[in-house]
Amino acid sequence: MGEPFLELHFRKSYPGFSLEVDASFGAGITAIFGPSGSGKSTTLDCIAGAARPDSGVLQLWSRTLFSSEGRFLSVNRPPEKRRVGYVHQDGLLFPHLRVRENILFGYNHTPKHRRHLQPNHLVRLLEVESLLHRMPSTLSGGERQRVALARALAASPEVLLLDEPLASLDLPSRGRILRRLRAVHKETGIPMVYVSHALSEVMALAEQALVLDKGRQVAMDAPRRVLHQPPVLPLLEPAHVETLLEGRVVGQHPASGLTEAAFPGFTLWLPTVDREKGEEIAVAIPASDVLVAAEPPHGLSARNVVRATVSALDRVGDSVIVSADAGVTMLAALSPEAAASLELQPGAEVSLVLKSSSIIVLG
Amino acid sequence: MRLGTIASTRYHLSNPSVKGCLVLPTPEEYSVLFLSLRVAFVGTLLGLPVGLAVAWALAKTSMHGKVLLDTLVSFPLVLPPVVTGYALLLLLGRHGPLAGLQEQLGVELLFTWFAAAMAAGLVALPLMVRSMEVAMAGVDARLELAARTLGASRWKAFTGVTVPLAFRGIAAGALLAFARGLGEFGATIVVAGNIPGSTQTLPLAIYTNLQTGNEDAVVRFVTFSLVLALAALLVHRWLLKRVAA
Repeated sequence: MGEPFLELHFRKSYPGFSLEVDASFGAGITAIFGPSGSGKSTTLDCIAGAARPDSGVLQLWSRTLFSSEGRFLSVNRPPEKRRVGYVHQDGLLFPHLRVRENILFGYNHTPKHRRHLQPNHLVRLLEVESLLHRMPSTLSGGERQRVALARALAASPEVLLLDEPLASLDLPSRGRILRRLRAVHKETGIPMVYVSHALSEVMALAEQALVLDKGRQVAMDAPRRVLHQPPVLPLLEPAHVETLLEGRVVGQHPASGLTEAAFPGFTLWLPTVDREKGEEIAVAIPASDVLVAAEPPHGLSARNVVRATVSALDRVGDSVIVSADAGVTMLAALSPEAAASLELQPGAEVSLVLKSSSIIVLG
Repeated sequence: MRLGTIASTRYHLSNPSVKGCLVLPTPEEYSVLFLSLRVAFVGTLLGLPVGLAVAWALAKTSMHGKVLLDTLVSFPLVLPPVVTGYALLLLLGRHGPLAGLQEQLGVELLFTWFAAAMAAGLVALPLMVRSMEVAMAGVDARLELAARTLGASRWKAFTGVTVPLAFRGIAAGALLAFARGLGEFGATIVVAGNIPGSTQTLPLAIYTNLQTGNEDAVVRFVTFSLVLALAALLVHRWLLKRVAA
């Protein structure tokens, strides 16, 4: 995580809801995580200038976006003067303009000396060359999001705000956008603030996470640590806890109908994916589909057995979430009885058993 | 006395003759039509910037005094047009606030076709604003926010996003104002009089010819009005049908 670039110290209340944020973000990818109604989107709105905080200070790279300090010194920059890129989950492309004009909209409104990202380059980076002459209504959800990203970036923003960018996408598109996001971050170095209610996305993408609940800030830490903090656990729904992994295809086995893919620390057999050897792949594994064995199992029909070391056990609702390090952190959900009978402790060696068919290929 | 007789007495009416109705309009009658079109068109043009600004303020801002603004622009809809005309007369008159400006420019607006156009624009303003307000309120505010985070000022977001997306509703509002302007009578006669060849628009010409008993001319002017009204309604319908689609 780099030096702090975004300082957020403000309050904002609506009837029946109040939000208080006191955080500074480093120049990487920061996630704001929380259930719906926790104040995530309001926080983004305050950064973008769509909502006005009641009081406080917001600074971006030491440029004051908002300040209520002092009656004569109060600042509230309009959205167009904030240099903030905003990508909404619906994309919000201008329906009357072609993809090309959508992407150029922000670019044309950016003063020449501040344009560091060229539309041509962005169009290639986000793989939207073939869509340039299409109207937004003819695009799929994933295409729309890639165009929205290109459009936001073409205005050379100083931070990219992403409001649930994967929420309205189908599974294959989710993986593709996730990979594009990381590529964009690596390539442009633009810090991102990523709002999500899906913990797996946060863990896969972000370097730090701010957790909000009912307008209160309950945690601020690296995603892997945030997961184990007691105030965060009740916010997780066991049914939605999953591990997101990114790796490469290493082999195709048409005879058995399986694809072999390598991830940091282990390989997995997946249902056949139409992809060349060496290509990137992203998968999601629901925690409830992961079995935990105290001993390496024998004579098992499941293909995938991964050795891992238990790093934490957390009670979430009626389940116990086991975090195990297998090169990357894997999550498994067990019943409390099962966890007790296996005598799991942090540091214990376990085997994680995954059925190929329970692995969801994201793209 | 039967009702028909009363009317006949007042207006010296005979029934329009079939032959008279088949006669083509005279050049003077055509010039009444063109004057009416010009008055309504210029009136609509004059109303457009005001209508757009008011509609935007009503649909897209949370400013104080919205109720007041709304009430103010609705007045011409509910006031007798003669009263609206009288207000305009006071505004443009010799002792009105615009007297100095007119003097400087060396123009006198009262009793010109331009005054008729102003009357038409003012009386049609509420219709224009209603239609535009609905159209603009239908544009997703998040799209305008998206435009602004991309560096567009409020004005650029308005011209680049709000107006194009509300275009059909805005055009429908302008068309409605145009059609209403064609029929303007009460305010027009107050500020522009009824001068043949100069300020005598279709409704005024119909009224004058009714009074003089030239009923064949009345029928021809009525035909003009019917055709224009029908055309306006058809185009209006087409515009709004596409909005719904």
